[in-house]
Amino acid sequence: MLKRWALATQHKHNTPSELDELLLWPALGLLLFGMVMVYSSSIALAEGSRFTGHQPMYFLLRHSVFLCVGLVAGVMAFQIPLRLWQQAAPWLFLAGVLLLVLVLVPHVGRSVNGAQRWIPLGPINLQPSELMKLFAVLYAADYTARKLDDMSSFRRGFFPMAVVMVLIGGLLLREPDFGAFVVIVSIAVGILFLGGINGRLFGGLLLVMAVAFVILIWSSPYRLERITSYMDPWKDPLGKGYQLSHALIAFGRGEWFGVGLGASVEKLFYLPEAHTDFLLAVIAEELGFVGVLVTIGLFALLVQRAFAIGRQALMLDRIYAGLVAQGVGIWLGIQTFINMGVNMGLLPTKGLTLPLMSFGGSGLVANCLALGVLLRVDWENRQLMRGQQV
Amino acid sequence: MKAIKFSRNPLLSERLPLWRRRLVLGVLLAGFTVLVGRSLYLQGINNEFLGDKGRARFERVIDISATRGRITDRHGDVVAVSTPVRSIWAIPEDTKLTPSQSRDLAQMLDMDVRELNRKLASERDFAYVKRQLPPELADRITALQLPGLRQKNEYRRYYPSGEVMAHILGFTGVDDAGQEGIELAFNTQLTGKPGSRRIIKDRRGNVVEDVESISQPVEGKDIVLSMDSKIQFIAYTYLRKAIEEHRAKAGGIVVLDARSGEVLALVNMPTYNPNNRVKLVGAQLRNRALTDTFEPGSTMKPFAAALALEKGKARFNTPIQTAPGKLTIGTATISDAHPHGVLTVAQVIQKSSNVGISKLALSMTPAEMWEMFDALGFGTTLKLGFPGEVSGRLRPAKTWKPIEQATMAYGHGISVTLMQLARAYQAFARDGDLTPLSLTRLDMPPAIGKQVFSTQTAREVRAMLELAVLPGGTAPKAQVPGYRAAGKTGTAHKLEGGAYANKYVASFVGFAPVSDPRLIIAIMVDEPSNGKHYGGDVAAPVFSQVMGESLRTLGVESDAPQKPLQVANAAPVKEEM
Repeated sequence: MLKRWALATQHKHNTPSELDELLLWPALGLLLFGMVMVYSSSIALAEGSRFTGHQPMYFLLRHSVFLCVGLVAGVMAFQIPLRLWQQAAPWLFLAGVLLLVLVLVPHVGRSVNGAQRWIPLGPINLQPSELMKLFAVLYAADYTARKLDDMSSFRRGFFPMAVVMVLIGGLLLREPDFGAFVVIVSIAVGILFLGGINGRLFGGLLLVMAVAFVILIWSSPYRLERITSYMDPWKDPLGKGYQLSHALIAFGRGEWFGVGLGASVEKLFYLPEAHTDFLLAVIAEELGFVGVLVTIGLFALLVQRAFAIGRQALMLDRIYAGLVAQGVGIWLGIQTFINMGVNMGLLPTKGLTLPLMSFGGSGLVANCLALGVLLRVDWENRQLMRGQQV
Repeated sequence: MKAIKFSRNPLLSERLPLWRRRLVLGVLLAGFTVLVGRSLYLQGINNEFLGDKGRARFERVIDISATRGRITDRHGDVVAVSTPVRSIWAIPEDTKLTPSQSRDLAQMLDMDVRELNRKLASERDFAYVKRQLPPELADRITALQLPGLRQKNEYRRYYPSGEVMAHILGFTGVDDAGQEGIELAFNTQLTGKPGSRRIIKDRRGNVVEDVESISQPVEGKDIVLSMDSKIQFIAYTYLRKAIEEHRAKAGGIVVLDARSGEVLALVNMPTYNPNNRVKLVGAQLRNRALTDTFEPGSTMKPFAAALALEKGKARFNTPIQTAPGKLTIGTATISDAHPHGVLTVAQVIQKSSNVGISKLALSMTPAEMWEMFDALGFGTTLKLGFPGEVSGRLRPAKTWKPIEQATMAYGHGISVTLMQLARAYQAFARDGDLTPLSLTRLDMPPAIGKQVFSTQTAREVRAMLELAVLPGGTAPKAQVPGYRAAGKTGTAHKLEGGAYANKYVASFVGFAPVSDPRLIIAIMVDEPSNGKHYGGDVAAPVFSQVMGESLRTLGVESDAPQKPLQVANAAPVKEEM
């Protein structure tokens, strides 16, 4: 028995894995962990709400379906060579822009809580901005790979992308979806930066963006309100600071090891959006600092793997694949950081979900697609290193 | 998987500098490190503060209601008890019922469907659908599993004796606090002390976790009344019969234990059913025997006679000239409708002569009479602790004119409650002393009360009062088969707007057995209007019936032969008004 096991492990070592297991297993782990926490955080809401028909499993069932769809989509994305992704990138991006326009058309886009972010498609609602994040990665990588030689030029290297970003930004802020805007601009700027854009140009860009952000925030009362409330949630804890104060209470109650899975009080109608934007707060309350640490650790591992895969691709002279992999890393890293920062009161509240974990079909499917593409980059790297064609 | 050297391309590394990748990854991982630090701060350092904030949001201290004490009669029979009930309430927003569900629910609740729908259409977060349902029915509603409907445990007060004891017991409000009668008078003892516990509730107010018990509830104490349910029922039955027979407006009866001062029965008419909450309004709620005063009329005469004996102004057989049946004092004239000629003091009481008692009264000073009335408890409340108890009217002696002194001797110009009157007769039923009254059962009856008259006087007046009940007196109908009874009738014109109207209050106060008085009964019938209005015709029979049955119930030894009443051949002497 022992011998057979020893042989089996030996056999494993002899044939290198086809996939990056340090990426695959943490990613699947986060997806399943997310499903458990979505169920835990939504059960009271679902049971107590007329809109869900008082079914406790309402959100769990939907999340499970989205997850299955997402996994199938991820496997399909894995089948597609990066070469084809690059060819399709501008068209996908264009399709994404069209969807962003469509969502703003009255009667086509659906508005929830004053934000018009969804296109109803029968039983599901499509959120174009989530898909746009993936398309932005694919397109910005393609753009940078094509214009690698123009990266030091403002007019040829930077300006066209800036125009595109202003367009996308305008559409996203009309919804409004400030969170997606920040993520997409970060992806584009990050990929340009990695693609070797002129250092002084980049510095100037950061300055311009900083100024633009400040203007955006000051020009819109609702954004300003969110800013001021996050600075001191205890000043108006039952008004503007309501959501954040409850998120912070959830963290405090969790202490080191949490109150136990399922035992959160905050999810009992106190903390709004517990199963979407504020899922981490429920994790913090139920599983404590340990739970948060594990979650952050898994995400950090994911980001690190994305960058490692990207670096490997670049070393194999696969610039597009490398930038896509790192773009996915930037996306997951930035969105995770912002979502968690919001949950912990480090950043102003904005509507961003926790990647791979929060409830929400479009986001989950887009994340799975991105993971599929990332694993494809890795798989192609391995094939090339073995001297095979892709 | 680390650096694969053969692919290192100098051109590539110049174009895509390694430091940029490291910087971006570094910034992201630094961001994650900041998150870890922040989480550590929130969950490991600042958690006390946040925990306190959380407790302020979700934790509540709630009362655990103490069960309200029971009220029993002197034999331990329960006359008021709290039974568990449930109230159905709803979160209207969540309660969307199909028409057939609404119909079923309305039918179970015995409600109109429209009224149910109106309640469920409320804009508020909370609406009572129906309160105080029996638990079995509430369980059946739970079984329907309708959305948004909740239940709440409450208590409902139940009075097994219904309207028989209504006025003594009073009733509680929907919140289980006493509103009338004993329920109000003894509310503090009955209520007990609610306990409290700390709980965590969700945002909709449901208790989700029991944190700790802060204090245990102290259950309400049971109250043991002095009442005797059997005597109460007897009194109720006969008073009610008399009220119906004489088409009277109202009436009252009080039964006292002459030895201990305990109130054994108290009935008022009209009465009400305290279990029917809808009808708890109006004059029927008044406990007339304690809260209403009336001019007692001739039932006051024995007191003036007793005082005359006490002060040595007259003796049992002292003759008094009452002819020609008129006595003029100042501008007013007191008269007897049936002139009697010379009467002894005993006969003045027996035949109830106004002229005779007036002459006796005028032989004393107003101050002497006032002191006696005051000592008998007139003009001050009985301090039973009963809500709404009144003192009656006894004007200061200095303001009395001679005519008033005379009329007060036969019960006009003075007002009393039925309970005060009954208690004052204790002076005759006992040997001249009065005990305090009690609504609760006494373990040790007071040995001796406050002496108002001497034993000698009391015994002589007792003999006079026995004469009044015998043939030749005003109330032969008050005789009790098997027992020697004594008492005095009263028939008073009612005062209406300052003048005496053609309406009467018939009354009788007496005690038995005369050999060793045990019970005192006072009866008042307001506005009998079926032809008879004399106390001897209206109130005396009630006394006879209630006294006879009550004494037998108590097993009191008879002190007279069980002979039929000598009423038929001896028409009662009409008393004066």
